[in-house]
Amino acid sequence: MNQIFNNTEQKDNTKKRELLFTFQSIIVTGLLAFTAMAFFYYNELTIVKGIKVVFAPFLSVVPLLFILSVLRDLRKGFKEGNYSKDEIVKFGLITLGVTAAFTGITYLLSVIGALEILLAAIIAILSTVFFLRSKIKDILGMSIITGIAEGIIVYMIFLF
Amino acid sequence: MKLKQVNAAFFVTTGISVLVFVYLVFLGYDEIKTLKDVIKIIASILFPIPMLFFVRFILIEHFLPKNTDEYKLKNQRPATILLIAAVVSSLAIMQVLELVTQQKLEQNLIFAHLINSTTISSYVLNYILYNNLKVNGVLSGVLLALAVHVFFLSN
Repeated sequence: MNQIFNNTEQKDNTKKRELLFTFQSIIVTGLLAFTAMAFFYYNELTIVKGIKVVFAPFLSVVPLLFILSVLRDLRKGFKEGNYSKDEIVKFGLITLGVTAAFTGITYLLSVIGALEILLAAIIAILSTVFFLRSKIKDILGMSIITGIAEGIIVYMIFLF
Repeated sequence: MKLKQVNAAFFVTTGISVLVFVYLVFLGYDEIKTLKDVIKIIASILFPIPMLFFVRFILIEHFLPKNTDEYKLKNQRPATILLIAAVVSSLAIMQVLELVTQQKLEQNLIFAHLINSTTISSYVLNYILYNNLKVNGVLSGVLLALAVHVFFLSN
C-alpha cells in the first residue's frame, strides 16, 4: 500500500487522479457485487428463474458495448491544477445528491421480488459505472461514482 | 522503501484501531445472527473510503509538507495540544450524547464501528499522503478517546 502511493507521487496530478478514479470504480463494482449477493440471499432461486437470471445481464451489457463503441469521449481527461472553491462546492453537492438518489434506488432494488429483474437492474447500474469510467473521465464522473458508492453503503448501514 | 516513515506511532495507532475493532465485534458477538448484521458491519467499515478518495481527488495538491526535522520541531507543541484537546473533547461529547439520548454506545455498535473506521482511514491517508502533524494529533486523539470510552468508561 505504502509503496503504491509513493510510486504515484512521482507522477503528475492527472495520473494520480486517474488512479483514484480507477480505484473508486473498482470499489463501486465490488459494492454492487456485494449488494447483489446480499439481495440474492433473501430470494429463493428456482430453476425457471435461474435460466432467466443467466440471460438477464445481456439486456444491459449489449447496449453498453454498442454505446461504448459508437460514442467518442465526452470529456478530455482530468485537470492538472487545483479546483476552485465554486467547483468543489458544486461537485460536493452533486455527490450528495447522487448519494441520496442511490440510497433510494437501493431501497427500490430491495423491494423488487423478482430475481431476474433485480439482476438486470444491478447490471444496468454496473454498466453505467463502466460507461462513466471509460467515457466521462472527469470530476463529474468521479462525483457520480462516489455518490453511487456512498448511497449503497448508507442504505446498507441504516436501512437494510 | 522509506523505513524512516514507518515509525512506531503509525503502528501503535493502527494497532489501537484494530484492537477496538476486534473488541467491538466481540462485544456485539451475540447480535451477529444473520448475514444482515455482517453486511452492516462491513458497510460501516467501508463507509469512509469512497469519501476519502473523493476528497483526495479534489484536494490533490493543496498542501504537502515535507517530513523534515524542522517541520516536526515546529509542530510538536501544537500537535500535542491538539491531541490532548481531541481526547478530552471527544470523551466529553460521547458522555454528553449518552446522557442526552439515554442510550449506551454498546447498543449502537454500528456507530462505534463508523467512528473507528472513519478515523483510522483518515489517519492512514493523512500519514501516507500529507503527513500533517496537527491533523495527525486530532485523529489520534479521537481514536484514543474512542478506545478509552469503549474499554474503561462503559459498563
